[in-house]
Order: sequence, then C-alpha cells, then structure tokens
Amino acid sequence: MRLRLLLTVVLVACAGSSARAADLPPATKTVEAVIDQLVDAAIADANVIPAAQADDATVIRRLTLDLVGRIPTSGEVDAYVKSGDSDKRAKLVDRLIASPGFVRHQAALFEIMLNPEGDRRGSGALRTYLTDALKDGKPWDVMFREMLLPNEADAKLKGAADFLRGRVSDADKLTSDVSVAFFGVNVSCAQCHNHPHVKDWTQDHFYGMKAFLARTFDNGGFLGERGYGVIKYKPTKGLERVAKMMFLTGATVEDANAKEPTAAEQKAEKEALDKAKAAKTPPPAPKFSGRAELVKIALQGQNADFFARSISNRMWHRFFGGGLVSPLDQMHAENEPTHPDLLTWLARDTAAHKYDLKRLIRGIVMSKAYSRSSQYDSENRPSNKFFAVARLKPMTPQQLSTSLKIAATDPASFDNLTPDDFEKRMEQIESSARGFASLIAQPTDNFQIGVGEALLFSNGDRVLKEMLTDGTGTVLGRLKGMKEKDAVEFLVKVAYGRPATADESKALVVYVEKRKGREADAYKQVLWALVTGTEFRFSY
Amino acid sequence: MPRNTFCGSAAHAIDRRALLGGALAGAALASDMTALNALTAPDVSKALKTKQKRVILLWLAGGASQLETWDPKPGATTGGPFRSIQTDVPGLRISELMPKMAARMKTTCVIRGLNTKNGDHGSAALTMMRGRRDEAALRYPDLGAVVAREFGPTESKVPDYVTFYTQTEGRSMAPGASGFLGARYAPMELTTNNYPEFIKKLDGITDLDHLERGELRNVLGKGFEKGRNSDTLNSQNEAYQRVRGIMASEKLFDITQEPQKMRDRYGPTQFAEQTLIARRLVEAGVPFVRVGRAWWDSHGQNFETHQEMVPELDHVMATLLDDLGERGLLDDVMVMTLAEFGRTPSINASLGRDHFASAWSCTISGAGIKRGSVYGKSDPKGNTVVAEEVDAGSLFATVYSALGLDPHKNYYVGSRPIPLVNPGVEPIKALVG
Repeated sequence: MRLRLLLTVVLVACAGSSARAADLPPATKTVEAVIDQLVDAAIADANVIPAAQADDATVIRRLTLDLVGRIPTSGEVDAYVKSGDSDKRAKLVDRLIASPGFVRHQAALFEIMLNPEGDRRGSGALRTYLTDALKDGKPWDVMFREMLLPNEADAKLKGAADFLRGRVSDADKLTSDVSVAFFGVNVSCAQCHNHPHVKDWTQDHFYGMKAFLARTFDNGGFLGERGYGVIKYKPTKGLERVAKMMFLTGATVEDANAKEPTAAEQKAEKEALDKAKAAKTPPPAPKFSGRAELVKIALQGQNADFFARSISNRMWHRFFGGGLVSPLDQMHAENEPTHPDLLTWLARDTAAHKYDLKRLIRGIVMSKAYSRSSQYDSENRPSNKFFAVARLKPMTPQQLSTSLKIAATDPASFDNLTPDDFEKRMEQIESSARGFASLIAQPTDNFQIGVGEALLFSNGDRVLKEMLTDGTGTVLGRLKGMKEKDAVEFLVKVAYGRPATADESKALVVYVEKRKGREADAYKQVLWALVTGTEFRFSY
Repeated sequence: MPRNTFCGSAAHAIDRRALLGGALAGAALASDMTALNALTAPDVSKALKTKQKRVILLWLAGGASQLETWDPKPGATTGGPFRSIQTDVPGLRISELMPKMAARMKTTCVIRGLNTKNGDHGSAALTMMRGRRDEAALRYPDLGAVVAREFGPTESKVPDYVTFYTQTEGRSMAPGASGFLGARYAPMELTTNNYPEFIKKLDGITDLDHLERGELRNVLGKGFEKGRNSDTLNSQNEAYQRVRGIMASEKLFDITQEPQKMRDRYGPTQFAEQTLIARRLVEAGVPFVRVGRAWWDSHGQNFETHQEMVPELDHVMATLLDDLGERGLLDDVMVMTLAEFGRTPSINASLGRDHFASAWSCTISGAGIKRGSVYGKSDPKGNTVVAEEVDAGSLFATVYSALGLDPHKNYYVGSRPIPLVNPGVEPIKALVG
C-alpha cells in the first residue's frame, strides 16, 4: 500500500520535473552561463545585493587551491595579475585542470567523499584507482560501475574494489554508504523506523537497497557475491517482511533467487569458493548479481536523477563550500534545493555529457557566481543560500600543509623552471607535506578548528623545523640583508599573495624593530603569525 | 538561597563564563596565570563547584570481572576463589579484594544488571562510551564530549576533556571522540606520558615572544576578518585564544605540585598518579577526565590478574572518593567505573573468564546519584539479569540526570534534532529521584 502510494508520488514528481524541463534554460547554453543566469535571477528576485567580483589575486588563489590543492606561488600570482589577456581566467583554469596536481588533489577529495570517516584513507589502493581514473578522464558513471562491480582480476582496476571491501563485513553500513556516496540519500534513519519527517524514506527503502548489496562477502581477500539470499526485516508495525530489491525511486527488480539455498547448492558453492581461495583468484560471479542490478537500475531512465543530481550537488559543494542541497546526503522532497532549476539543469547537462567531471568542474569555476568576493562590508549580508557572497572554505590538511611549505620556500626557486619541472617540484613539496598533514583534522560541514591544531602550531617542533627555518632555498633565508620594511612586505606577499597594507607593514616593522639584534627570530615569528592567521587557513 | 559572588555584588552572581570572560577582557592574554590562580582561591572554587558538574571516569579497559569486584558469587560453581565481604551499606556485599571500597559504599551506587549485548572490544567500547551505537552516517559524541560541551565554557582556560590511556593494549579500540560535536570538544589524549602534547613552549622562543607573536597573529587577522563571517573562522581564533590558558594549565598535570603526603596516599602506580592528576584537573574546572587502566582482558589466569589489579583499583578509588569528599567536591564530581563489558561467569580451561555483556556491573559515585544503593540483580550464578536490567541507553540517561542534565535535551545536526539519549530511553528513576 505504502509502496504504491510512494510510486505514485515519485511518478508525479518526475512528471512535474519533466513538464518543467521546457522552462529550463536550453541545453545548448554553457554551464557557467546557466549558473549565472539562475543564481543572478534568484538574487534579483530577493532584492539582494551580491558581493563584487573578487580581485585577480584572490581569484588565482581560490582557483589554485580549489583545483590543484595549494596556494599559488607569488610568481604565478604576479603573472596572472599583470596579464592583460581578456581570456586569462579560462587559460588559467584549463592549465590547472590539465595539470597532474588537479588529478592528485581531486582524487584526494573523492577519496574523502567515499571514505568520510578517514580510516583506510591516504595511500591505499582506492586512492591509486581514483588517481588513475581521473587521469584517464573516466566519467563518473564508469567510476561508479567500476567501484560497485570491481574487476579484481585486472590489476589496474583492483583498487576500485576497496570501496566495497572496507564495508563488506557490515551490510547495513554498506547500504547506507552506497546510498550516501552515490545518490545523496541517507536511508540509515529508515533502518529502524520509517523516517519521521521524510515520507520518501521508509524501511522498505533501506531494506530494498540492502537487498541489492547484502549478498556481497569476502572470500580470502577477494570480493564474492552470492546469487541468492533473502533480506527479511521486522517493520515497526506488522509482520516480518521479505525485502524486494528496490531502488530509491521505488523501482523494483524481480529476483527469482530470493530464497535460501538447498544443502546441495550450499555444498557446491562452498567447494567453488574454497577452490578460488586456494588459487588466490576472485570467486566466480553469480549468474544474477544484485550489485549489477543496482548499477543498471540506478542509471536507467529517470532513476538516474538521483545519481546525476548527487554528483552535481557534490561538485557544487566542493567549489562553493555549500551544496545546492544541504546536507549532501539529504536529497529528498522535503529538503528543496536552493536553486531547483539550476540543480535539475546541471544534472541533466552532466548526464547528457556522459558524466564528464571536468566539464562540470570547469563550468562551475568559470561562473561569475564562483568568483565573487568573500568579503561583504555592508550589514545586510545575504544568506548563504543565494551564493551572493563567496564562502570561506577551510583547507584540507593536505592543502594546508602543502601551502605552508610553499609559503616557507624562497619564491625565486620556482622561477625559470620548465612547466614539467615546476609540476615535479610541486609534487615533491606535496609529498613532503604529507607527514605534517596527518596531524591536522579533516574539515567537514560546520567544521570547528580545535585547540589541538592551535597547540600544534604554537608549540610543535615540526612547525619550527619544517617551516620556520632560514636555510638556503627558504623564504626566511632570502631576507638576509633586506631592510625591515622590505623583509616583512616580502613575507606578506609570499604568504598571502598580495601586497602588505600600510598598517600591516607598519605593525610588522614595529614588531621586528622591537627585537633589534635578533631580527632572524623576529622574522620567524612574523612568518608564524602570517601562516597561522585566518587569511592563510581558508580558501576564500 | 544565598549565592556566591565574585565581585561582591549580588546582582553579579558568578559563573565560570563570567569569571573567565572577565579575566580575559581585563588583562588579555598576559593574565592567564592570574585567572588560573583565581580558580584555586577558596571562594571562587566554591562558586565554581556549585555551578559545574564534573566527571572522572575510571575506564577498566578490556573488561574487569564483575564477579571479582561488584557482584561476587562466592560458593557458586562460577564464583571463583574469592569471598565476599560486608560493606557499610546493609545487605550489600562486594569482593574481598575491595576492603577499602567496602567501607565506602555509602558514597556509591552499584549497578549490577547491565545487559549491553555486545562482547566485541572495539564496538562495545564505542557503545559504552556513547550510550548507543553510532548510526551508519552519524557519529555520536561520547560521554566526555557531551560533559565537556555542557559544562565547559566556550572561553575555557583549561582543557574540557582529558583522557589518559597509557597502556597500549586496547587503546586504539576505545578512543575518545566528540562525534558530531566537532573538534572543539575532542579530547586531549595523553598516551605516552602524563603531559599533554604541545602544551609546553619550545625552548627556541622566549615566553614574551610567544605571547606577542600570538597577539601579532590576531592583529594581522583583523583586516581579513572585516566583512567576513564564518563559524569555522571564529573557531580558529577561539582555539588560538585558548592556547596560553591551556599552556598555563600545564602545572595541573605536574604531580610534583602535590604535597608528598597526598602522593603517598594515592600511591606510586601510574593509575594512582593519573587519578590524582584527574582530581587536580576537575578541581580546577576540567569537566571530564577519563583515566584508562588496561588490560583487564583475563581470558587466562583471571584470578591472578584480578588479585593484582583489583586491590589497586580499590585503593585508588577509595582514596579519590575520600579526597573529593574532604575537598567538598563529591556533590559535584561524579566518579564512575565502567568498561566495555564484564566477564563470563563460566571459567574456561585456562582459568580465565571471557567477554560477557549479559549481566555485568558498573558504579557511579557522587554528584546526583542515589548513594549507598544497588540496582539490578543477577541470578545466583551470574549468568543473567533477573531484576532491574539496565542497557547502555538507560545507564547514560541516568548519568546525565545525575549530573543535572535533561537526557532528552536536543543537539542539532543541521536541522535534525538529536537528543542526548535515543528517543524513548529513560533514566532509572530510583537512582536519580
């Protein structure tokens, strides 16, 4: 009964969205043009005054941090700011997106998205897989398929299996994590009861999704899947039920094998599994795979809306610091997007362009909405939901640690490098920053910076040894022989990518002059104050 | 009711926030030590303790045996070699390994009917630190984080949540965690020695430079922060503002600051020293301290293990309760003994007891718990709970109530209300009446 009701609701909702499709901006428009059209329209409707466009130095800092995971060198900033090329932003975006840093940084972010709890993250096989996949420009639906139906016999794709492997011992968690990561839906509330506030989500949804996934198991380090099995659950009211394989839209898959096996079947299966285990090969795939059915149905027709909307929303969140739907795992009818047409258009465009992540990302960062200032001086600061002012995005541990190293490096050492050597240098800096990054907390929505970080920066000897040294090739080393004013302004420029203000310069000179005879200490402290400052900590 | 005041004005009743906020506004960062000294001044610490509840959790990692501590079964086939002794509470007998606590059970409530249904170290430890299982996509804060959040003022000059766990066995299975409350309430974890990491200034910088460098940081931020608005940014500044205070609290971790007589009372063991430090911390206003003592996981030689470890627990816990009582702190400081589970009544072939979550015990002393009480009853062999069964949820609801908190109070994750305990879970009325 409930199911039929739900199906009706979904059908009506889908009919509604396709009826509206005619009102959406045309599919031929660029991503950035549609973003600006619809964001600006909402801003105008609400009579909100948006922040001005950020200046060039801010734009290159934001783009470099968001796309390749580090602050720009002061040489990169200068070249960008000075350039009179009217197409310079597009050229910068294309250069960054084509660079190996983009692949590494985005792979790290995808890994955080897929393993938000942080265990098994970092150097594992999944990271390798994601890096290779992004390098090859694999579409998101292909990555989804490879992670849910991993081919462990192919060494190059083996890492994709890690997403399932980490969850294989807990089918409830697997169900919940798959729904969250790929469909933007958190059905875990519906595990114990129908969701109190969201009529979309019932226990049928949780167990319907679980029915696709619960047959997965570990067989001697390889993933196996049974071709049979039944998921039963006891609803809060009524008798025990058998869960049908049911996708989030209510679409179901008929499964003739939803039964318990006979003793003979069990015996045959065990023999086959033991044989695979002994041979150290993946166990034979079932004739009827629940996971394959899930991948198929999830990408079919309008069912694919969940998949397309979720990745569009997640990419929006990555670059704007907040989703069109927020939180990211609460995409349901009672949690409307801030810009419903925009999300629908982006999802349609993304699906129509074969889930090309680079196209989506490029469109987002080329929009004027993305490049607004994060500063808003008047009192009537618009709500975040308008995307009228840029949000501050706390750096990830790796972004912060890499950026610290860059700020501590003599910028002249980046000059005159070939593009290839520059990229190699950045990769070296990034990997040398990994150890320090492991001491810093990974930001989440509503992130709070703890006193542990402040203590680490205040009293940790790694900060002193790795960043505040004045040997050859360091920014502090460059200061020797400089006048106080020149030295402090140089430090500000390197750390913040902008000239020091007159007030800053004055305050810093006073600080250094007070330490006459021990200027080297004073400069270390100035650099410390700059890189622990709020201006350094965020992509703004 | 007369109220303690800080500045003499009745209109200005003191709370910690006012006190510390005032100290901050006054002489800014340079006055850290002054503020801490103020906390130990008699009238101020009196004002503090009437306002703020605190908890010391003695975490018996690995699972202490209820039969060799709080629920002995002498004479039963499962009873083992130790006898039971009468306590100062009529009708209440505990293991003969705990003679000191036997004379002090009037301070304490024993809960004997724990049935927590999980015998796996890791996941059971998570449950017993949180009062419930995490949802797949929701990480609950543990008891320490909730108490830190409820009783630690935002401008706290001391750490809010400190956890000692020095032994390596089982440490990674029972980390302190603030869950969705975020890093602000994450524990300060002490695992290698009794000093927190990064609490001491490095030698390479003078104290004045360290202070002024921090001030320079604040000054530099002003321009950037103008016209920008972010809770994360505020939390960063708050974190840096707490650095000097936390550094000044370093002495709280220094056991040599205690009179030798007091150190002798607690004893020379690491557990004793950490418990004494815990007392120093709660006295200075730290809301939650966990002292982890491992490793009780006596799958073999259960009786030797307990013969060695229970008397230490008995002595340290009794000394702590005496000490808190003498300082007038017992109405505001709760002391708990808890673990991830207890141990099987049945004795295995290695003379050990295995993991057992169906009928085990914990204790709560002080604060608002009904003292000198026993709740719950196990059968004569100790295999099942026959009366007044308690699960992790109702235990936590009871603890929150005994601390004066409404267990149904909501936190919000986004717009979703998350009560301190799951809906429908109630405290044990008989213990918090």
